Amino acid sequence: MNVYVDILFWIRQKKWLLIALVYGISLHFWVTPPADLNPAAYDALIIISMALILIITEPLPLPAIAIFMLFMQVVLGIDTANNVASYFMNDAVFFIMGSLMLAVAIVSQGLDKRLALGIIKLTGHKTWRIVAGFTAISAILASFIGEHTVAAMMMPVGLTLVRYANKDPRKVAGLTAALLFSIAYGATIGSIGTPSGGGRNVIMMNYWTEFGVGTVSYLEWMKYIYPMVLFQIPFTVMILLWTFKPEQDNLDTAVRKLVVEVARAGKVKAREWMAIVLFALVFFGWVFLSEDYGLGIIALVGVFLYLAFGLVEWSELNRKTNWGVILLFGAAISIGIQMNETGAAQWIANMIISNLSRVIDSPTVLQGSVSVLLTGVMSNILSSSATVAVVGPIVLDLGGDQILIGFATAIASAFGYFTAVAAPACTIIYSSGLVKSKDFLRAGWKMAVLSVLSLLGLALFWWPVLR
Amino acid sequence: MINPEALRFLTAVSSSEYSGPTLKMGSLIASVFDAHLGVVYVGDKANEFHGGAVNLTRHNLENWDIIHPGLEVLKWALGELKRFNPNNAGLARIQFNADHIFEEDGRIKVILPEEKGCRVELILREGDLVDQMRKEIQLEGYDLAIIGGSQNKQHLAHSIIQYLPSSIFVLQKFSPQKQYKLLLLVDDSDATQKSIEWGALIAKKLGWPVKTLTVSKTKLFGPGYQGAADMAKTYFESRDIEVEQFFISGDPVTTFVDFAGDDHMIIMGASTLNPIKQLLFGSKPIKTLARTGVPILIVR
Repeated sequence: MNVYVDILFWIRQKKWLLIALVYGISLHFWVTPPADLNPAAYDALIIISMALILIITEPLPLPAIAIFMLFMQVVLGIDTANNVASYFMNDAVFFIMGSLMLAVAIVSQGLDKRLALGIIKLTGHKTWRIVAGFTAISAILASFIGEHTVAAMMMPVGLTLVRYANKDPRKVAGLTAALLFSIAYGATIGSIGTPSGGGRNVIMMNYWTEFGVGTVSYLEWMKYIYPMVLFQIPFTVMILLWTFKPEQDNLDTAVRKLVVEVARAGKVKAREWMAIVLFALVFFGWVFLSEDYGLGIIALVGVFLYLAFGLVEWSELNRKTNWGVILLFGAAISIGIQMNETGAAQWIANMIISNLSRVIDSPTVLQGSVSVLLTGVMSNILSSSATVAVVGPIVLDLGGDQILIGFATAIASAFGYFTAVAAPACTIIYSSGLVKSKDFLRAGWKMAVLSVLSLLGLALFWWPVLR
Repeated sequence: MINPEALRFLTAVSSSEYSGPTLKMGSLIASVFDAHLGVVYVGDKANEFHGGAVNLTRHNLENWDIIHPGLEVLKWALGELKRFNPNNAGLARIQFNADHIFEEDGRIKVILPEEKGCRVELILREGDLVDQMRKEIQLEGYDLAIIGGSQNKQHLAHSIIQYLPSSIFVLQKFSPQKQYKLLLLVDDSDATQKSIEWGALIAKKLGWPVKTLTVSKTKLFGPGYQGAADMAKTYFESRDIEVEQFFISGDPVTTFVDFAGDDHMIIMGASTLNPIKQLLFGSKPIKTLARTGVPILIVR
């Protein structure tokens, strides 16, 4: 009897794996592919849709899903093992690997205490100014060092202020939400600003190169997108203060206690200066050398330097780096490239255009709205970077200016304001247990309206000046 | 046979806001039986994509003396247990230390100093409630899981009863001040014997009167039903526990629920039906839990 219970329980836990398998097997063996879709493209679509089911429902660990995507490409005869392996590892994956390790190296330096002092010096004690400071600093920092790094460093500062404002955070729920969301949404709006702001930006750059669209330098990316980051900061602050209405106008006591706490760290130490200098070198490498060496290689050089100077131990990097995510992105990019190579992405793009062109006359509006809507919606269900890996090849085949469509897609992948799963910064604040899912909805729709309007403004008024 | 000297109970808590009553009852029941009490916090698991970023943040938060929200709940739970058991000197001496934790088997265990009389364990887990409680029960061999009356009762009742491998006590509107009567449901199934043992243990410890109820769908009560009811009566009387017998014809679940009203605590055996049939059609315990508002102990 117990064996039956165990089997039933396994089925309960793995039902989405079974659904994905039944779905995939049925499509492969019993459904005739559309006449205009070649068998390899059809199988690539089966793999990617099965992977999406598994990623969203999580019946398996991410590395298992990555391995599934890799071996299925070979088993279904889409490509040879060697080709799949070569697509699996590229500069975008190097970048994701490097940036995850750099995050560990930077966070472990304790620079967050310096950051806290710096912010307080800038903002003073008024709540609205602190929320504004958190949003602006999170956005600007995240645009260079990635949102997960910034959120990891800013969270202690935010939570310490909350703790000092009131021992029971439930009594200052508005203040708590305003501070934590200023970190999360600040980091999210900032993450689009430069290629190093998020893995998804580098994935898009990688697709441009792989698909022969062209290359965009670090500074060019900033030129196209950074104005939107700066434009959104003040409006984000207004949205947060309007939505969450902090209970205290002034955080005098909390700020004083915070200053006392961080002052214990003493003067900036040599190793902290070294950590800052090394990151500055990496940054300049990204700006001036990435076209020759690749963003990923430069990130790995940074990791090497942090290890060589003894600023971080390998054991720490090894323990705190999410290797499963790296595997998954490698696999997702490889299947993304196969979607392009086999014509699967083009087939979906054609289908979208032929169906929607009856509704929307202008090809430019159609391409832009499809890429933004598809990416924005999927980001809220999946994750921003995974969305770009999957959707990228399709939207680039929609036609029009592929660079601008790519920019729009990378930007829209940061529109995951509605749920805790889309962006790492949102997941991080949710893990504090102090903000609820409905808080994301309350502020998220306003942020989505702001971001869509900002993107529209950028596309209509700024990009034409640059092209 | 139940070994009353080595009982191990497990209770789940989710927050200081909502779990107070469940913890209080868990503590009371454990102290009445002098049982070991495991308190498990089962929190949301971060989406795997960003799990690394969340862990990195948590490590960093430790440098600021900000602990995992689950550990905060367990710290609160320990404080509450001390408050509920003011005479337990061993428990009173124990201090919560968030640095003294040990990660093993996919859970975090708070290491508490050995103190005589203190039989408490604090565990943090993340993920699906039923899955995590099942793992905890399998790992530590708990006899009884104590669960609050959940708002998602209908949804959870099925999974909890079907998959938790221990006896389950669901505290629905359970009040320690109230004088309950034990309603022991007796039939010819294998689980009846263990239900009788639990019933006798509770009746003896709490001094509650016992009623045994045997329900047949027909007017006839076969030798199996009659024999089980007689066995129960003999068992209770041999332990000087007052017992009344009732035999009623009708739909079992409706009869249990109507008979229990709001002043009984139900004890019934877990279903011996094929698990697949239970999944498809439900079982008496699953249906009874879904329909009754009184505390219910399902014995496995």
